[in-house]
Amino acid sequence: MRRRAGESILIGEDIEIQIIRIGPSRIKIGITAPKSISVNLKEVKLVREENLAAAQVHSVAALRGMLERLIDGPEGDGI
Amino acid sequence: MATTQTAILQRCETRYFGPVEYDEASVLVFPDGIPGFEQSTRFLPLRQPINEPLVFLQSLSDPNVCFVTLPALAACPRYRLSIAREDLDALDLASGRQPLIGSEVLCLTILSIVENAPPTANLLAPIVVNLQTQRARQVIQVNSAYSHRENLPIRVASCS
Repeated sequence: MRRRAGESILIGEDIEIQIIRIGPSRIKIGITAPKSISVNLKEVKLVREENLAAAQVHSVAALRGMLERLIDGPEGDGI
Repeated sequence: MATTQTAILQRCETRYFGPVEYDEASVLVFPDGIPGFEQSTRFLPLRQPINEPLVFLQSLSDPNVCFVTLPALAACPRYRLSIAREDLDALDLASGRQPLIGSEVLCLTILSIVENAPPTANLLAPIVVNLQTQRARQVIQVNSAYSHRENLPIRVASCS
């Protein structure tokens, strides 16, 4: 599918993606969709999933063990 | 000494450290929450000498939610911010330039510590705190080259 600036793509009946402006390295896109559909950058999904995984941590004992692996003083004497 | 004020301490439960007393002035306010935790709008940063330079971000609305974070410059000494204008606006920071880490903003990266895998830091989306207002936001830097899963040096303390 190839589009020029000002042209659109329809997905189903009520989602429209319009190519608004094309720059050398970025394009500006307009998206029209029903309110029930969330429109987000893909990075938002990655960050949400990463946050959920990061908050999953473990017991205090497991955390302690992993921090010992991570944190170490310049002299290597650990925590 | 009429201007002397005694901080009124509050108490909260924490995920890793039991009950903790804190001063309201130290609370970080995330008006939009954090992606995945939109209901958690207030976090308490907890530091412990034994765990330097880690900062634990404890949710004040859910004792089970506590992020383990590392100051961005400790994770990556040459870390550069590239905060989008709307995020600068949301944090009440001057637009048109990036804020200075340390003097203007606190910048923390969330660590993902999974068993049997090397720990990673989310350098793509750091927590940025306006130090004047305590207003905070997880900023997704879509124009940066950093990953949401950057490998960390093993000896964090020696490269900070």
